[in-house]
Amino acid sequence: MLVPAVAVPFFGAVLVWAWRDRAFAHWIGVAAAALGLVVVALLPLGRGDGNWSTMGGSMTGGWWHEVEFAWAPSIYLDFSLAVDGISWPLATLTALLGLLCCLHNALGAERHTSAALQVPLATVATGGPSRDAGGVTGVPGESGLGEPGEPALGEDGGAIGAGAEGRSSAALQVPLATVATGGQTRRSLRAVNVQSPAAGGVTGVPGEPASGVSGGAPLSGTAEAALGESGGATGTADAAAGPSATLTALLLAVQFASTLVFFADNLVLFFIAFESVLLPMWAIIHRYGDPAARRHAAAKFALFTVAGSLLMATGLFVAIADTGTADLGALIVLGGVSPEISLLVFALLAIGFAVKAPLWPLHSWLPDAHTAAPTVGSVLLAGVLLKLGTYGLIRIAGGIAPQGAADAAPVLAVLAAIGIIVAGLVCLSLPELKRLIAYSSVGHMGFVVLAFATGTEAGVNAALFGNLAHGLITPLLFFLAGALKARTHTGLLGSLGGLRLAAPTLAGLLCFAAFASLGLPGLAGFWGEAFTVYAATERGGAWLALAAAAAFGAFLAAAYLLRMLRRVSHGPVAPAVAGVGDVTAAELIVWSPLVAGTLLLGLIPGPLLDLFGEGLL
Amino acid sequence: MRVQAIDHAALLPLYLAAGAAVLALFGGRFAKACMMIGLSAAAVAAAWVGGGEDRATFAVGEWHSYVADDAAMGAAVLFAGLSVLVAAVSGRQTNEYWFLLAVSAAGGITLASSRDLITLIVALETLTVPLYVLVTWPIYGSQASPKGPIDGSQASPKGPTDGSQTSPKGPIRGSQASPREPGRDGAEAGVTFLIASIASSATALMGAALVYSAAGTVHFEGLATALTGADTKLVASGAALLLGGLAFKLAAAPLHAWAPLVLERAPLPIATYLASASKLGGAVAIIWVVHFALGTGAGTSTGVAVAALSVASIVVGNLGALVQRRTVPLLAWSGIAHAGYALAPLAVIATAAGQADATAAASAALAYAVFFVLLEAGAFAALTAVRSGIALAAGGSAETAASGSDAVRDPAGPETRAQLADSERRTLLGALKSGGPQGSDLKAGAGVTGIHSGGEGGAIADLSGLWRTAPLPAALFLFSVVGLAGLPPALAGTFAKVAVLEVLASSAVWLAVIVAAGAVLGLAYYLPLARAVLLGRGPERVTGKGRFAIALAAIGLALLAVTLAPQLVLDFTTVSR
Repeated sequence: MLVPAVAVPFFGAVLVWAWRDRAFAHWIGVAAAALGLVVVALLPLGRGDGNWSTMGGSMTGGWWHEVEFAWAPSIYLDFSLAVDGISWPLATLTALLGLLCCLHNALGAERHTSAALQVPLATVATGGPSRDAGGVTGVPGESGLGEPGEPALGEDGGAIGAGAEGRSSAALQVPLATVATGGQTRRSLRAVNVQSPAAGGVTGVPGEPASGVSGGAPLSGTAEAALGESGGATGTADAAAGPSATLTALLLAVQFASTLVFFADNLVLFFIAFESVLLPMWAIIHRYGDPAARRHAAAKFALFTVAGSLLMATGLFVAIADTGTADLGALIVLGGVSPEISLLVFALLAIGFAVKAPLWPLHSWLPDAHTAAPTVGSVLLAGVLLKLGTYGLIRIAGGIAPQGAADAAPVLAVLAAIGIIVAGLVCLSLPELKRLIAYSSVGHMGFVVLAFATGTEAGVNAALFGNLAHGLITPLLFFLAGALKARTHTGLLGSLGGLRLAAPTLAGLLCFAAFASLGLPGLAGFWGEAFTVYAATERGGAWLALAAAAAFGAFLAAAYLLRMLRRVSHGPVAPAVAGVGDVTAAELIVWSPLVAGTLLLGLIPGPLLDLFGEGLL
Repeated sequence: MRVQAIDHAALLPLYLAAGAAVLALFGGRFAKACMMIGLSAAAVAAAWVGGGEDRATFAVGEWHSYVADDAAMGAAVLFAGLSVLVAAVSGRQTNEYWFLLAVSAAGGITLASSRDLITLIVALETLTVPLYVLVTWPIYGSQASPKGPIDGSQASPKGPTDGSQTSPKGPIRGSQASPREPGRDGAEAGVTFLIASIASSATALMGAALVYSAAGTVHFEGLATALTGADTKLVASGAALLLGGLAFKLAAAPLHAWAPLVLERAPLPIATYLASASKLGGAVAIIWVVHFALGTGAGTSTGVAVAALSVASIVVGNLGALVQRRTVPLLAWSGIAHAGYALAPLAVIATAAGQADATAAASAALAYAVFFVLLEAGAFAALTAVRSGIALAAGGSAETAASGSDAVRDPAGPETRAQLADSERRTLLGALKSGGPQGSDLKAGAGVTGIHSGGEGGAIADLSGLWRTAPLPAALFLFSVVGLAGLPPALAGTFAKVAVLEVLASSAVWLAVIVAAGAVLGLAYYLPLARAVLLGRGPERVTGKGRFAIALAAIGLALLAVTLAPQLVLDFTTVSR
C-alpha cells in the first residue's frame, strides 16, 4: 500500500505532463490525486500494533506498514517507506490538498468567475473618462496583443479600434468580452486558436482590457507571456498563466515528493525527497506566479530552501556517520545519536528545518513566495511545504537528537515566541491580503515550534495538532484570497470593502476561516494554540514569559484578522468589490472539505490525538 | 638477468586503445570508424578485466607499476567511453584528429592503472599533449561569423594548415559557412593551454622529485611506508607542489585560470573532452596520489594541501560563475567549483577520524568525479549539438545580410516547422510574429549579434526557448545542469553530493558546510540557466534538431542509468588499497 501511495501521484504527474496538450489532462491529474488520496486513506487498515521488536538485526513492527528495497547501500540509501500515526495524518492532508488543487485547476474555478468579473472590469477600464480610458487600454493592447488580433479581426477589430473614440463603443466592448470569456472555456478557446487565426483574434479582444489593467503581463517578454495572452482572455491577473495541465503535473510532483518525505524511513531518502520538492515548487512560483514578483520570489525560495536542506543533510550525515545506520525508525528507537554530538546534529537539522518551517529569523522567503505564487501554489506551500519543516523538526531532529533538542529548546522557544509576536505586529500593518495570510503562517508555525520546544507530551501533541490545523485553515484562507483577488483584481485591503453585501457567502467563508485561524474554540485552530500556551505554562519558570508572549501573539492574531475582516467584509461596498459574483458551485466543491475538516478537528480532536499517541517519537 | 613476466591481459585495454590510435592514423577514410570501434573494444576489454579478479603487472619486488583493479578499469571504461562520445559529436575530421583523440584516451587508460609517480606523470602528459593541438583544431566554420559577410560569400577553404585543406565538407558545415582557419582565438587558447600545462607539469615534477628525495622510491606502495619517517618539510613541500601541479588537469584553483578561456575558445567537442575525460584524468591522478601514496605517510600535510585546493576552488569557481553571462565559461567556472567538491573528501585524511576511513574518502571523491564528468559530458555534448546548429544558422543569416535581403524571411522557415511540431502556444507566437514584423526583426537582430560576439559557447540568452526548438539536446542539457546543481530529479548529481557530504559529515563538518554553501551559490547560476532553456522566447533558429541524436541519447541513457542505479558507479569507485 505504501508504494502505490507514493507512486500514484508520481505517475499521475508523468501522465499529465505527457498529455499536457489534451483536454482530459486535468482530469487525469484529478483522478491520480483522488486515487492517491484513497490509497493513503486506506493505510490505517491492517496496521501493526506499535510494538517494536528486533528481527534479523533491524528494528521492525512499530510502523503501521513498512517496505524496503536496497537502492545504493554504499551511501546508506535504501528505498524504505514506513507510516505511523504521525506521518499518516500529514500524508492524508497532503493528498487531500493535492486533490483539491488539481480539482481547482480542472474546474478552473477562477475561470468560471472571470466571466462575471469581466463586466465590472471592463466598466472600470473603459467606462471612466471615456477618451483617456480608451487610450490607456489601447496602448498595451497594441504592443502586446493588438497586432495579431486586429488584422485578423475584420469588423470586430474595427469596433475595438473605435473603442478609443468614446463611451458607446466601450459599452460595446463589454458584452463582447463577456461573450468571449463566458461562452467558452479556455481550452476550447485555445483549440479554436490552433485552427483559425480569426478566432485567435476574437480572444485577443477581451484580453485587451484585461491586460490594460493587470499591467505588464504581456510585456514580461518570456514564453509564458505568450501563454498569458491566451490566459488574458480569461481576464484575470491571477490566472494570467491560466490553469494549465503542466501546472497540474507540477502540483502532482510536489505531492509525490512531499508524500515521500512523510513516508521516508531512511534518512538519505528523506533528504532526497526533501530536495525533490524544490524544483517543482520553484517552477510553479516562477512560471505561474504573479508576474511582478515571481522571479525574485522564486529565486529567494530556492536559495533559502537549498541552503536549509543542505545544512540539514550535513546534520543527517553526521548522525549516520555516528550511528552507522540511516534507518529512521531504528535510530529513534535506539535513542538517537551519541550525546556528545547530539547538539551539533540537532543544530544543523534545526537550522535546516527552521528555514522550511519557517522560524523567525529565517522566514523572509515565505511572504514573498506565498504572495507571488499562484493560488494553488500558495495552498501547497502553506498546507504541505511548511509541514515538511515542522514534521522534520519534530520527527527527525527531535527523534534522532533528543538530547540536543532538550539542550537547544530554550533558544528554539525564544525564537518561536519572537516569531509569533513579530508576525502579529507585522500583520497588523500589512496592506495586502495574501501577504497578510502568508505572514500569519509565520506566527502559526511559531506556535508549533514553541509547543515542540516545551518537550512535554502535551506540547508535542499541541505541535502536531496545530501543524495539521494550520494545514487545513491557511489553505482555505489562500483559496478564498485567491478567489477574491480573481474577482476584484486587487489584494489591497484599502481598496476592498463591503464584501458582506456584494458576495455574502464568500464573506461568510472568509469570516469562518479567519475565526478558525485566530483560534476560536470549536474550530481546528483552537486546540493547537491553546495547548501550546498550556504546555509552556506547565514548564513554569521562564517559560511562563514565553507562554505569555504566545498568548499575546494569539491576541495579536485576533486583532489583525478582525482588522482584515473589517476592511474586506464590512463597510460600504468598494468599487472593486461592486458586482462581484458570489461563490460558485465549483468553488464550493473545492473548499468544502477544508471547511468540514476544520469543523471536524475543532469539534472532535480526540481521535487525532490518539493517533499521535500511537506514533513514534 | 631475469626477464619480467608481463600480464598482457591487464594491458589489453591499453593495447586496444593504442591500436585504435594507430589504425586511426593510417585508416584513411575509415579512421573515425576504426577509432570508435577500437576504443569501444578497449572499453569492453576494460570492463571484462575489471569484472575478473584484480591484476597487476610491472612489478618491482612487491610493488607494481600497473594495476588493473576495479577502480582503474572503471575509470578506463569511462575514458574510452567519453572519447567515443566526443568522437561521435565531432562530425567529420581528418585522420590526425582521431589519432590524437585516441592517443589521449590511451593516456587516460594508462593513468587509471598507473601506480608509480613516473608512470602517472607520463600518462598524464600523454593525456594532455594531444590536446595542445586539438584545442586549436579547425572544426567548423563558426569562427567565420566575426569576419562578417565577406566570409559568408567565400566558399573556398583558404587556411594554410593541412587541417583545413583536407577537411571534407561534412554535414557539419553549411553550404554558406566557410571552414575556419585556426584563428587568433584558437591560437590564443592553444598557447594558454600549452603554457599553463607545461608550468603545472614542471610543478608536479618538482614535487615528485622532492617526494622521491624524501622517500627514495616512486612506487605508491613504497611511498606509503617510506614517507612515515621521512623529513616532514621536504615531504610537505613535495606533496603541495605535486598536488598543485596535478590540480591543473582538474582545473582546481590556483591553476584554474586556463579553463574558462580555453574551454570557450576550443572547439566544442574538444571542450567536451576537456571538461569530461581530461578532468577525470586530473581527478584520478590526485586521488591515486593522495590515497595510494601520500595519504598514509604524510596524511596531515597532504590533507591540508588538498583542503586548501578544495576550498579555494569552491570559492573561486562559484564566485567566477556567478558573473558569467555566457554558457561555456559559466560551465567552466562552475567546473572549478565542482573540482573543489570532488577534492573535499580527500582533505579529511588530515584528521585522525578521516585517516581511519581514508578508503571511504577516496571512494567518495572518485564517485563524485565520475558523476560530475558524466554530467559535464552531457551538458557539453548537448551544447555541441545545439551550437553547431546555431553556427550553421549564423552562417545563413550572415549570408542573408550580405545579399541584402530581408532578414525576416530567414527565421520564418524554422518557425513554420516549429508550428507544426509544437502546439497551441507556438501558434499564438507565430500569429504574434507574422502580425508584427518589427518583433521578428528585433529577434533576428538579437540572435545575430549574439553569435557575432565571438566564442564557441554563445551567450546563455542564445539558449532560451531551446526546449521548444530542440527537445532532445535541451532535455539532456537540462538534466545535466540540474544534476550539476545537485537537485532531484537529476539524482546523479544528488548522489554525488550525498557521497561527498557523508564523508565530510563524519570528520570535517566545517568543510561540509563550505560545500553546502558552495552548492547554494551554484543554484544561483544553474537555475537561471535551466530557466533560459525551459522558458524564454529565444531566437527562432535551427538549433541542431536531430544532430548527433545517437550520441546524445547514449550519454542521456548513461546518465539515466546512474540516476536509477547509482550503485553501478558506487561499486567500481570503491577504491581498495
